[in-house]
Amino acid sequence: MKDTTLNEIKESFSFILPLVLFTAVFIIVPVIWAMFSSVFRDITFLDKKFIFLGNYKYLLADPGFWQALRFTFCFTLVSVPLEIAFGLVFALVLNEKIPFRGLLRACVLIPWAIPAAISARAWELIYNYNYGLANFLCMKLGVCDAPINWLGTNLGAFMSLIAADTWKTAPFAAIIILAGLQAIPEDLYLQAQVDRAGFFQRFYKITLPLLKPVLVVTLLFRTIDSLRVFDLIYVLTHGGPGGNTTSLSLYGYKYFLMGDFGYGSAVSVVLFIIAFVLAVVYVKVGNFSRGIRI
Amino acid sequence: MIKNIIFLFVCLIAIISAGCGRKDKNIITFSVGGAPNEIAVWEKLAVKFEAQSGIKVNVLRQPTDTDQRRQGLITPLKSREEDPDVFLMDVAWLAQFAASGWLEPLEGYSRELGIDPGVFFDRVINLADKYENELVAFPVYIDGGLLYYNKDILFKRGYKNPPKTWDELLKYSLKIQEYERRRNPNFYSFVWQGAQYEGLICNFLEFAGSNGGGIVIKNNKILLNTPENRKALQFMRDIIKKHKISPPNTFTEMKEEEARASFQQGNAAFERNWPYAWALHQSFDSPVKGITGIAPLPCFPGGRSASTLGGWHIGISKYSDSKLNAFKLIDFITSFETQKQFALELGWNPGRKDVYADKDVLKKLPHFSGLRQVFENALPRPNLPYYTQISEIMQRYINAALSGELAPETALGKAQQETRKIFDRYQVK
Repeated sequence: MKDTTLNEIKESFSFILPLVLFTAVFIIVPVIWAMFSSVFRDITFLDKKFIFLGNYKYLLADPGFWQALRFTFCFTLVSVPLEIAFGLVFALVLNEKIPFRGLLRACVLIPWAIPAAISARAWELIYNYNYGLANFLCMKLGVCDAPINWLGTNLGAFMSLIAADTWKTAPFAAIIILAGLQAIPEDLYLQAQVDRAGFFQRFYKITLPLLKPVLVVTLLFRTIDSLRVFDLIYVLTHGGPGGNTTSLSLYGYKYFLMGDFGYGSAVSVVLFIIAFVLAVVYVKVGNFSRGIRI
Repeated sequence: MIKNIIFLFVCLIAIISAGCGRKDKNIITFSVGGAPNEIAVWEKLAVKFEAQSGIKVNVLRQPTDTDQRRQGLITPLKSREEDPDVFLMDVAWLAQFAASGWLEPLEGYSRELGIDPGVFFDRVINLADKYENELVAFPVYIDGGLLYYNKDILFKRGYKNPPKTWDELLKYSLKIQEYERRRNPNFYSFVWQGAQYEGLICNFLEFAGSNGGGIVIKNNKILLNTPENRKALQFMRDIIKKHKISPPNTFTEMKEEEARASFQQGNAAFERNWPYAWALHQSFDSPVKGITGIAPLPCFPGGRSASTLGGWHIGISKYSDSKLNAFKLIDFITSFETQKQFALELGWNPGRKDVYADKDVLKKLPHFSGLRQVFENALPRPNLPYYTQISEIMQRYINAALSGELAPETALGKAQQETRKIFDRYQVK
């Protein structure tokens, strides 16, 4: 890198400058603002007062917060592996030379392209007790004699949300993983075939190790997205039954609506810290500092 | 390439900045919301008002969802925006908005323009529109819970009158259901709102209120876990889980529209709903047209029928730059003619008492004569700026009791314990 000139450095800065500015204005400033707001008693109908960690102290003793935290973790823990598993299978299939590959690739993306609030409405109709598709199929196929109240039990509501979320986001995982698969040089597989490696050997010895950085990126995206899940729950269960499907972002939102901006910010900051720590861990595990090498 | 990008960028900035036009103080911004047919009426009214007064009105449309409408107002008010000047509010947010200092006191304006608050329901003005003795809003239309019943279905089982007590309702329902189920497996006698949202609290307050219970606030302490409330909640749960006269999805999906649809399709004999359902039950393609009756909600032995006060109110922003013009709009909207139009066109229940005695209104909407009494006795929700926080906790626990996760006593005990913390947090000045 001896011949890097000042001009080249300047040029590279001009390339990353828009990104840095964008991140600063739309991400860093709001995060700092939320942190600032969370150390105040910022309630619309009371005088504003600096209370330092007062909101966080209240948060630790708030059962609603713990319920939301528990749900958010469970939701992420179950939905992300499922999404990645389905995404991987889709990607492997779509990477083979199958007929109508282009069309299939486009079709797989459809759930991801539909706005979450709209697909949540569609799922709401599927789960509907009286005229939903799920109950219709179950009754027709004889799986059950009486309609099931899908969203009525804690487990039912949880699984229904997981199914809807997986359906929506597995395609996203599939597309990223597919890009990773296409970056693996064909000759490696030819070489392996010469060495008489079977399908599973090729998958475990070539595909998976070379896919690792891409998988980590997918995992990172999906985990952070899943931690802040809002729209799906807002539409489908609104946090019910009994508040058992309230995610952290929905919980924080409810406090903004009630005029308690300080506490809502504190909930958001906690969510930010969790996501940030996880991101750091992923980046360390993924060894990005060494660059992605094929 | 770079030229293209710059061009797109310039376009973007032009589009964004086009939204920040100059402000004209003669134009008032009026934030409304609701179903499309309701918004259409507001827009029509704005045009009529403009023609009458020469004051231009910019109608700001908001979604139907109540929470989103509230969010759409909190954001500009919190940042002290001049717009919207005048807006509609749900009765449940009035205290929060007033305590936040966002609402302009209206007493002076109404004296100046000669509006007599006495034409409105006294209870509504005193218990909802006044905050700490200051008049901050006027009722546009009001709501109260009612019992709808299907006269045909009742008559077939020999019942001529609607039930007066919950025990009677249960007795009727079991008998009706046994018969109706033979033809209709989806039949559940009694539908009401049990999903986890504000409507659940309105329903709970009616069950509890008809047993002498409710949310009691004494010496800055909230009392929920009372024998009256426990009995009411136990009954709400029993009619779903034990007697099964209310559908199993009551506590997950049942909101106003779900209950209305079920009753309208003939899948229920009794329905608890707001007055808006009447016009829809009577619409030309409704299967229950002409056979729907309304009555006060039943009560427990020794109790009195209770109806939760709902409805929408109109107020002026403290940060408005044309308050007098905004008040003229309020004057127009709460005038006899406009309120009568609300009743005739939308089936809304005006906040003015005199409309209920109007001949045209009574001819088209004969049920109005009985409604006046319901509204005169309607139960308000606690007029506290942190009412939503209390409601939020109650929704969670009452819903958990309905789903069978918690016993009614445990649910009310926990709700009481948690709401007391809310008091500690929000009471200090």
